Amino acid sequence: MHARAWLRNFAVRGVFWRRYLDFGVTNVPFYLRTVMMLIWTTFFFFFAVPARRALLRNLAVILPGSSRLTNYGRAWLTLFNYAWTIADAADHKLAKSEFAYTVVGADNLDRLAAGSGAILLTAHMGSYDLGAALFADRYHREIRMVRAPEADEKTAQHVDKSLARATAGAVKIAYNTSGMTLPFELLNALRAGEIVSILGDRVPAGSSQRETRLFGEVVRLPDGPFILAFVAEAPIFPLFILRTSFHHYKIIVGDPFYCRRSAASRDAAVEAALATWCRTLEQVIAPNWPQWFALVPIFPAS
Amino acid sequence: MSDGQNRDVGYWFALPRLVARIAGRKVRRAEWSRWEAYGVGLLVFGIGCVFLAHALFEVVRPWALRSLCLLITPVAIWIACLLVYFVNWLIAGLLRRLGLYSAPTNNPLQSVMIISLITLLALLLLRDESGWFRSLGAFWLALLALNLLSAAILRTRHVP
Repeated sequence: MHARAWLRNFAVRGVFWRRYLDFGVTNVPFYLRTVMMLIWTTFFFFFAVPARRALLRNLAVILPGSSRLTNYGRAWLTLFNYAWTIADAADHKLAKSEFAYTVVGADNLDRLAAGSGAILLTAHMGSYDLGAALFADRYHREIRMVRAPEADEKTAQHVDKSLARATAGAVKIAYNTSGMTLPFELLNALRAGEIVSILGDRVPAGSSQRETRLFGEVVRLPDGPFILAFVAEAPIFPLFILRTSFHHYKIIVGDPFYCRRSAASRDAAVEAALATWCRTLEQVIAPNWPQWFALVPIFPAS
Repeated sequence: MSDGQNRDVGYWFALPRLVARIAGRKVRRAEWSRWEAYGVGLLVFGIGCVFLAHALFEVVRPWALRSLCLLITPVAIWIACLLVYFVNWLIAGLLRRLGLYSAPTNNPLQSVMIISLITLLALLLLRDESGWFRSLGAFWLALLALNLLSAAILRTRHVP
């Protein structure tokens, strides 16, 4: 039993790889990392089979008509980008490396920072951990980040510690479990004027969800952020952070939208807001597909 | 973090920093250059691969086996790199205990060790009969010399 628990550390989502990444960032000079990234990406491309399959399915939907072989290459490229972004987040945490960034929609970012109580809706794109650290650093504001719990307990502890260290405690993590306390906790946070960051492109097990259409396919996405926005009457800011080059990022902040009570029912308001979010996702993902790190199935199998 | 919307340029190596300054650009020391990040790494890895493949070709004659050597060379160099990083990590740990090394990460020490190792390989390539290998060795040594010279110039001018 002990041997099995020990071996779990080396699973794809095991803590061994997180610690190895930390070792790499503090022991491999930045100009020698490319080759490491190339080889480790290839390793995980072959061994992280469920992630590869999920990427292939995503690509088949986002880029219809492309050959399966081409999509294998694109899936590899997506994993390569993923390797760089998690390495960059570790680099910022451990070596305090500088990152250059540009902001698209700077006015919206300023409004988000200046406002009281807002939902920052993002996706598994680029480095959202780095983005949260950047935001907290630039505006000196705390963020409450909602995440799906890690499959591995030691990995979860490692991620928590890493984020706390990278942001000097400015990012508080709330795990999205099936418990009933989280919605109330988030509602209170919004009413207290805090910013709540939620990943809106994947449904964690046991979470509230709703059918919608993404790239023409019927998918189930979380409706919790919209119900929360509806009850708290808080604006929703779509925000994405994309890697553009080595140690360079682009932050895209979309116009805020609301999920407001109107003549229609609450369900209709939530569905309309969810549809707005899906159109935003499509606009950002389509040209930036190599940075959509949705490593679990989202679209129904073809 | 730095707001990259300004016109600052960042290079880690002294040579491109000096060249950028001469060209009139505002430059500072930062790990921002894709050329450094991708180019130097591939050059270091390439020199290692060329050296190993060349050494193997001295003893392996059949073409089928030589092809196999070419396939395993990058993997062998990669494993060798992992070993070098690990040994250097042990050395860094020892130096830290002795109070002789205190940088936040081991990267500066790793840089010195790996660049020294590649310089040694470049010197060996320089003694080779083949003009191609000599050129590769000379290219590395020229880059190294120019970079050290640039670092000295920047230091005398008190430029970070």
